[in-house]
Amino acid sequence: MVYFILKRMVQSVFVMLAVAFLAFSLFRFVGDPITQMTGVETSVTDQERLREELGLNDPFVYQFARFTGDMLRGDFGFSYRTRQPVAEMIASRIPATLELGLVALIISLLVGVPTGVYTALRPRGVLTQTILMTTLVGVSIPTFVIGIILIFIFGVQLGWLPTFGRGGTVQISGWESSLFTIDGWRALLLPAITLGVYQLTLTMRLVRAEMMEVMRSDYIRFAMARGVPMRSLHYKHALANTMVPVITIIGLQFGGVIAFSIVTESVFQWPGMGLLFLESIRFVDIPVMGVYLVVIAFFFVLVNLIVDLLYVAIDPRLRIRDVS
Amino acid sequence: MRALKSAVLGGILSLTAMGVSAETFRWASTTDPQTMDPHAVNSAPVLSFLNNVYEGLVRRGKDMSIEASLATSWEPLDGENGWRFTLREGVTFQDGSAFTSEDVMFSYQRASSEAADVRSWFAPVTEVRVVDDYTIDFVTSAPNPLFPDSIANFMILDKSWSEANDAALPARDAENFATMNVNGTGPFTLASRDPGVRTTLTPNANWWDEVDHNISEAVFTPIGNSATGLAALLSGEIDFIQPIPLQDIAQVEGRDGFKVLEGEETRVIMFGFGHEHDTLLYSSDVTDANPFTDPRVRLAAAHALDMASIDRVLFRGKIEAASQLVPAGISGFSESNADRPAFDPARAKELLSEAGYSDGFSFGLKCTNDRYINDEALCRAAASMFAAVGLNAELSTGPVRDYWPQLREDDFDMYLLGWSPGTFDMEHPIRFLLHSQDDERKLGSWNFGNYSNARVDELLPQIQQEIDLAARQSMIDEVVAITQDEVAYIPLYTQPLIWAAKENVDLTQRADNFFLLRWVTVN
Amino acid sequence: MTAFLKKYEGLWLFVHSPAAMVAAFVAALIIIGAVFAPWIALVNPYDLASFSLFDGLLPPVWLEGANPKYLLGTDDQGRDMISSILYGARLSLVIGLSALTIAAVLGVGLGLAAGYYGGRFDAVVMRIADVQLALPAILTALLIDGIARGILPAAIQQDLRVAVLTLAIALSLWVNFARTARASTFVQMNKEYVQAAIMMGQHPLRVMFIHILPNILGPLLVIMTVDLASAILLEATLSFLGIGLPADSPSLGTLIRIGMQFLLSGEWWILWIPTLFLVALVVSINILGDFLRDIFNPRLR
Repeated sequence: MVYFILKRMVQSVFVMLAVAFLAFSLFRFVGDPITQMTGVETSVTDQERLREELGLNDPFVYQFARFTGDMLRGDFGFSYRTRQPVAEMIASRIPATLELGLVALIISLLVGVPTGVYTALRPRGVLTQTILMTTLVGVSIPTFVIGIILIFIFGVQLGWLPTFGRGGTVQISGWESSLFTIDGWRALLLPAITLGVYQLTLTMRLVRAEMMEVMRSDYIRFAMARGVPMRSLHYKHALANTMVPVITIIGLQFGGVIAFSIVTESVFQWPGMGLLFLESIRFVDIPVMGVYLVVIAFFFVLVNLIVDLLYVAIDPRLRIRDVS
Repeated sequence: MRALKSAVLGGILSLTAMGVSAETFRWASTTDPQTMDPHAVNSAPVLSFLNNVYEGLVRRGKDMSIEASLATSWEPLDGENGWRFTLREGVTFQDGSAFTSEDVMFSYQRASSEAADVRSWFAPVTEVRVVDDYTIDFVTSAPNPLFPDSIANFMILDKSWSEANDAALPARDAENFATMNVNGTGPFTLASRDPGVRTTLTPNANWWDEVDHNISEAVFTPIGNSATGLAALLSGEIDFIQPIPLQDIAQVEGRDGFKVLEGEETRVIMFGFGHEHDTLLYSSDVTDANPFTDPRVRLAAAHALDMASIDRVLFRGKIEAASQLVPAGISGFSESNADRPAFDPARAKELLSEAGYSDGFSFGLKCTNDRYINDEALCRAAASMFAAVGLNAELSTGPVRDYWPQLREDDFDMYLLGWSPGTFDMEHPIRFLLHSQDDERKLGSWNFGNYSNARVDELLPQIQQEIDLAARQSMIDEVVAITQDEVAYIPLYTQPLIWAAKENVDLTQRADNFFLLRWVTVN
Repeated sequence: MTAFLKKYEGLWLFVHSPAAMVAAFVAALIIIGAVFAPWIALVNPYDLASFSLFDGLLPPVWLEGANPKYLLGTDDQGRDMISSILYGARLSLVIGLSALTIAAVLGVGLGLAAGYYGGRFDAVVMRIADVQLALPAILTALLIDGIARGILPAAIQQDLRVAVLTLAIALSLWVNFARTARASTFVQMNKEYVQAAIMMGQHPLRVMFIHILPNILGPLLVIMTVDLASAILLEATLSFLGIGLPADSPSLGTLIRIGMQFLLSGEWWILWIPTLFLVALVVSINILGDFLRDIFNPRLR
């Protein structure tokens, strides 16, 4: 087991290097950072000098080696746009994205699991069909359309919730959180719902499918025959078995949530990593883009490792082959 | 009960009527100023924002005219080229230190250093001399009547503060103290700065000028998505936003409590050509020649465009058609050449026949899709109009970050460009867009197509040095006439300025799209 | 035998499920409209000479100021909305289906191989999958776009935007196929028929594609419908972020992006008609996908 983990960690390093390499080599095609850093009246000679100073004329291999070398030493460079240290920039944005993702996930669970259970237990009911149809439509609308609609209904027409930004945040030893103020929650609600809709549907269908399958399994029938009360059956036996694969899928989906959050953050001007990434593309802020991608790669690698471990732990069949 | 209520109400009303209450003002724009250092990046969002915090020797008033700021007066030097500035006494920086000519000298050295992006403003300057604590001389290599105009955004930093905080030069790659902190002489000071998220300003109690505003706190948030920005305004969360998309004007005006401020920016949008290209790059039928080298073909393209329809449909009547590279009203605008080629598709086809292209030809039209208002829609409309006379444009649009490199590499047949003259004078576009490319003398640096006319090149330095306004204007007129005859560019229109605010906010819209807090009153 | 029964059972279920029928009908309508767009549509939105600015911003026929020639109104350039959405659906479907096919071929191929060979090959494939997952679809699209621009000659770049976008979307989708195929293959590898085939000395490719593949198709088909919907939505999102197709060859996503500008301005049809169309298309695909999933999982009936 330990050997497995170690092996995976070594492979993870290769993954991150590969991501960094791919991303870095292709940054040259995203645009010219110099024209974003200088004004219209800056002479060509001055622009060239800046290009030289930033090392942008160096051969690619040299630039990449410098980039990785710096990162390994903990030096994440400075943003071309604001000249801030990149590590600081990204670190300051992580709480916003993580909180958003977490709350979206919680919403999707809080709504998804009970509705999944309900629709599994009452497959022919009217409410079930309505729920299924609504969620189907919900997952077919592009995320950004949902976001804008919510902003206009709840923000502009009704005026109940803020239309952008994070609202009131509280600093807790370096972590800026919006979970501790009413204002913060009000600002968090719409983006979290927008982000969570897709997750919600997925979770609901998964729970429903698994629950329905489990309900037909033999041991449930035997328990019914034995006279175990329905409620205990539903929640203790059936649900417990349902949750296991659901949990592993959720682990994977959390990664998708982070990716999806780029669009949500853009629509709601939510100051998280996704928005930072989008803006850094717009300004060809290569240092920020590079570090962001490596951070995301690290995160994915971590999540995948955990999920793989869970898979192996749960399903003994996967242990027969050398899964690593 | 009723009487009590009205008494309380009356009391409150009278209280507010007594004094102008201080207000928190919230505003937003699409781009966050990327730095708080006024010499680091020569970009409009930065300079507009910092004009609230820092000041220069001169400044522009509500109508764009040059007024005294940290310099009370200025006059040409005696016996040499240049200007003498007399500085204002009794001004202090926000940290309390006194403003003297030492600070101006220091700021000049800082702004003209290689690390500064604004150094091109000081290209004509050969020497700067401190005469005394409140007098300073700027010596220029040639007579330069426009020099004071050209430094309207040159902001003065406090020498002792900058040196004490290691910010003697603008930050190049890593940030320094001046990137995140300010110490200016202006009406506001920085209370907090969270780049890309929120920046807060509070009034500077030591400001030397009369306070015309009633803001107690100003909060700026960048909102990149225009739909979100509009929602923020309409929900009352912000008081002002610049700009709003044209198609939302009716919506905002239709709602009670909001208003739209419309004006014309000093930016002219135009099409440019590859005057030195031997062949078209993107044509599927003409591969051995470049029809656009023939002025008749260029003129045909100009005649194909129906600006009136574009104005009506795409811009809701908000644009002014342009005849030259600056809008009417700007210093140097040539009244005698104020006509643009009329919409005349028949004439266009005639010209094409004369040039030998009676069947038309295909070519590539390159545009941005995120830089100018409705740029993509404009280009699509233009392409459609070109097609109607046989000029089959293959439209290629992309984000601005890719755009300039492609233009610099001559990767175009026809391209879109917008130009706002930094000095608010016609000499500016002549210098950057009409003069032949000359890297050494830093001329024609945005003349991507390398339009080149010897007479124009000859006239530019004369225009720059001519003090007699009438003589200067006639030289400019000659340049405009030449470039119009040769259709160096096809000027299209002046870009509109559309701001939106709550009804109870009084503010001033300036033609350079700069927003100054000191003219804001919240009622 | 079981396959035969399944086929007929599926049909029986289909005919008795109103949702599936409606979905299929809508999808078929849209697809036929999309395929025959050049013949049905009034205006070719890609031909810049076929419409004029004068006809711009006309409302749908039931509102004041409309021109009966344009039933659902026109956009800001004067293009007929119906034509635009037919051509747009065409492009969206082409992109979606192509991307899906590439993703499926790539993903299933790699997944099968990974499951079959296991060991180091499997590890490499999975790590490549990790790399792919770590790059957000947005960036993949950007980067491929960038490479294409850097490598290809200028003249054909515009024509290849569709191909570039398709490739970008395909690359974001293949991992799903690969993982599922791999997991299913692992399970199949322990079955007797596979062991027998290997022992008989059959070529690995034969074992993989002739023996294993038909038995793992179920979940893969389900993924296909879900991912087709994802591909179409992904294209819309990329267009929204400005990285999708340019406005003169609009897909549904681009039409929505253009329409967003008119969200509040009164010309609501420019946004909501393409959106409705897109949603209808994706909902139909999803319903059909659900239906397929239910067929292949008899335990759910």
